[in-house]
Amino acid sequence: MASNPMQQFSVHKIGPEIKIAGIDLSFTNASLFMVISASIILLFLFFGSKEKKIIPNKIQLMAEMFYAFVAKMISDTAGSKAKPYFPFIFSLFMFVLFCNMVGMLPYSFTVTSHIIVTLIMALFIFIAVTIIGFIKHGFKYLSIFVPSGVPVVLLPLITIIEIISYLSRPVSLSVRLFANMMAGHTMLKVFGGFVISLGLLGGWLPLGFSVALTGLEILVAFLQAYVFAILTCIYLNDALNLHH
Amino acid sequence: MKRLLAFTIATLAIRNNLFAAEAGMPQLDPKYWASQAFWLILVFTILYISISKFYLPKIKNNLEDRENKIKKDIDDANKFKELSETRLKEYERILENAKKEVIKIHLESKNTLDKDIQKKKETIEKEIEKEISKAQKEIIELKKNSISEIQKISENIAASIIENISGDKLNESSIKATVEDVSKKTIGKYL
Repeated sequence: MASNPMQQFSVHKIGPEIKIAGIDLSFTNASLFMVISASIILLFLFFGSKEKKIIPNKIQLMAEMFYAFVAKMISDTAGSKAKPYFPFIFSLFMFVLFCNMVGMLPYSFTVTSHIIVTLIMALFIFIAVTIIGFIKHGFKYLSIFVPSGVPVVLLPLITIIEIISYLSRPVSLSVRLFANMMAGHTMLKVFGGFVISLGLLGGWLPLGFSVALTGLEILVAFLQAYVFAILTCIYLNDALNLHH
Repeated sequence: MKRLLAFTIATLAIRNNLFAAEAGMPQLDPKYWASQAFWLILVFTILYISISKFYLPKIKNNLEDRENKIKKDIDDANKFKELSETRLKEYERILENAKKEVIKIHLESKNTLDKDIQKKKETIEKEIEKEISKAQKEIIELKKNSISEIQKISENIAASIIENISGDKLNESSIKATVEDVSKKTIGKYL
């Protein structure tokens, strides 16, 4: 019968085992698809910036559109102070987007459907944003936990809630991306299984669903990359422009 | 009905299969966590460095170049527009001046022509008058002359007629007086 819908998420080793200081760092299918996604991005950008044309060709136009899209996203959410972080946000957005999109191809592997991958990215962002906040504002950065205009009676409660929400940022950021990607791909697999098991007579309905879901998943793949990047911008904005 | 039944059976089978899966979520198996973290950091670092060092500056330059080019082109276009407007104004001014000049020249030439014509007319009129008076004088003289001639001729004719008829020569002075008398009576008809 249908294979396990979670089978697609399993990681297996490719090539020889690499062990450094007792830790298994073997090249896996997850690593392979990270390399593939990064290579596609680099190839895309290479051809997108190869020719300097006043009237761009299609691929140059696409690269410039991505650039303008991310630049506008950053300037809208975090202002001009966030300009030095533009390359990082751009790389992050492109990496998550291309990992999601490459994962939409049949028989491929979705890098971002693994909690460890998204958690490392989210933790890096969280720690970096916190460090930036303390560098820019010193101990005044702690005032982010004390919103202005709150009655004194409510202040301790609000501060505790603010601290919890701040600390849960990496978890929410990583779980959002990971859960969306995993749920979508599992759904696709389940409906694909229905098509096979219901055969010629009843398989058409789940097949239609499968097609519709594929469209939806492409949307989700883009949307989640966008959300991941824009939330990073918002966190960065909190650290750069302390509201008071 | 058959299809619904088949659908239910299939759903149940897949759900059982899903829950019976031993591994559960492969994401929560920590066996390759270190490997994934290592490769993620490695790949992302390479990606970040190459994007921030090579590709983004290139794209940025490209966009700026285009913006500058567009700005320059627009500036140039505005400059040319202004230039053409000033040229047009100049042209219109020249045209206006030329029109004025044409009118002026036209008037002047008309005036001089009129004066010229007037002058010539006057001189010609004077000449004509002179000629007329001269001719009148001549006519009067001629008339006077012709009257005395006619008298002489008439005297001769009268003398010869009288001689032929009577055969006598009459006194010349009496003939002359008679002719003068007759001619004085009749000359009013001719003069």
